[in-house]
Amino acid sequence: MFGQILRRMLLAIPVLWIVATITFLMVRVVPGGPFDADKHLSPEIVANLKAKYKLDRPVVEQYGHYLARLARGDLGVSYKYVNRTVNDILGEAFPVSVQLGFAGLLIAVAVGVPLGTMAAVKRGTAFDAGAMFLSTAGISVPGFVVGAVLILVFGIWLKWLPVALFESWRHLVLPALTLAASPAAYLARLTRASVLEVLEKDWVRTARSKGLSDERTIFRHVLRNALVPVVTVLGPLTAILITGSFVVEYIYAIPGMGRFFITAVTNRDYDLIMGTTLIFGVLLIITNAIVDIVYQLLDPRIKLES
Amino acid sequence: MLALARRLRRIPTAFASFIIILLICSLALMSALGVPLTPYSFDQGSADILSGPSAQHLMGTDELGRDLFARVIFGSRMSISIGLVTAMVAFLIGTAYGSLSGFMGGKVDTLLMRGVDIAYSLPDLLVMILVGVLVGKGTFGILFALGLVSWMGTARLVRAQFLQLKQEEFIEAARAAGESAITIVLKHLLPNAMGPIIVALTFTVPSAILSESTLSFIGLGLSAPECSWGTLASDGWRSLRVHPHLILFPSFFIFITVLSFNCLGDGLRDVLDPRTRFKVKPPFGK
Repeated sequence: MFGQILRRMLLAIPVLWIVATITFLMVRVVPGGPFDADKHLSPEIVANLKAKYKLDRPVVEQYGHYLARLARGDLGVSYKYVNRTVNDILGEAFPVSVQLGFAGLLIAVAVGVPLGTMAAVKRGTAFDAGAMFLSTAGISVPGFVVGAVLILVFGIWLKWLPVALFESWRHLVLPALTLAASPAAYLARLTRASVLEVLEKDWVRTARSKGLSDERTIFRHVLRNALVPVVTVLGPLTAILITGSFVVEYIYAIPGMGRFFITAVTNRDYDLIMGTTLIFGVLLIITNAIVDIVYQLLDPRIKLES
Repeated sequence: MLALARRLRRIPTAFASFIIILLICSLALMSALGVPLTPYSFDQGSADILSGPSAQHLMGTDELGRDLFARVIFGSRMSISIGLVTAMVAFLIGTAYGSLSGFMGGKVDTLLMRGVDIAYSLPDLLVMILVGVLVGKGTFGILFALGLVSWMGTARLVRAQFLQLKQEEFIEAARAAGESAITIVLKHLLPNAMGPIIVALTFTVPSAILSESTLSFIGLGLSAPECSWGTLASDGWRSLRVHPHLILFPSFFIFITVLSFNCLGDGLRDVLDPRTRFKVKPPFGK
């Protein structure tokens, strides 16, 4: 297990290098630079600014500088938020996105997995049809529509919950629900299909004929096997939810990574774009590694060494 | 085709969805052909500003007194064509790429599939935003961005189908008969892989419609004078508190269209391809 984790960490380095290189090239190929928006700047000032951030050097040299700094854990500086480093900005935005992302993930799993399991167990009943219609509706509704309806009902008409900013747990409720809606629906569909497949296996019949109760059969024999595909999608899902759903942070004016990413792209804030992308890459690698380990706990037949 | 329709009729939700899709598509088509569906044009202002739904204005009016129903119908052209064109692009790129990978096999396959893995692991919205900025806003930019993130699922699917079909005897027979590689791919492999491809494409359309509306909503997709359901919802967002009808009606059309395509896709999968459940990329972050 330990060797496996170590090997994965080593493998992560080339992957991150590739991600950094592609993003580096992409943001520089995009027309427009970080100081274009300030129309009033004279060419001399722009030239000075570029010199200050070493943006006047050849791209290869900039790339070398960037990698050298990156190796020391320095993500660079923001051109727009003057005197703030990218480490500083992301250090503030990341915890916000983590809280929101985990809250959303928790709701999605707590709703999606039981709903899908119950629908599969009660296959063909009205409950199944209702649950499946609800979850198909759930993956069909854009995030901003969920957000708009929640804000209207709970924020404006009932006045139960605040609809913007990020100050207490009450501010977290509506954004987390908005974030969770579509993943919950997707997990319900996935769980149902997976449980249906497992229910037809021989060992389930064996368990039943041994006289095990329905609950025991489902928890000990069905779910343990059926959850493998669910766990697979939880990896990327966690990373995406944590990096911040752009829409949710936009709707609720939450200062998370998604918002910073959008403004960074519009402003061509090169280092901030790259920092956000790299954090996403790291998260993706970590969550996938966790998923692989959970796999083995769920199903000891899966051996990763081979 | 007829046999397919007959089998689909046995699944009520899928059939109903099919009818709804036909209705919405014909609305969009009629609007594009200039058939007068409402007494108002999409850009004709009036003194009757920000009124709620009434007999005169079915969905009310916006801040310039423009009839929202006329605007929603006009916007359907853009939203529907973006969905269909993206599916077309995904089909062309995905099938070509997947065919090459699956047919060649070996090192070419490994290399091409690593490429797909990397492209797949990048979050769609991130790529679309970056590419949208690169190509420029507007219809072409958004189509380019959507096409770029939509083809990987089809490519994987086609490749998997090809790897499986390659082992079949009829392919061996075709090879023995001396048929060229292109003939084998086009005449023998592709037709046998069409079922799952059609299913995947049915799911590409709603996914593209959702992505476009989301991008337009956060201000990184289409913007005025372009008009889609996404831009209408984005306009309505600003007056959510006082005039919720402005966001709710366009949103309802997005929802019902995407829902219908998803239900149709589920139905088609049951009919055409019962094995490959949930091979479509999850709709996260949209």
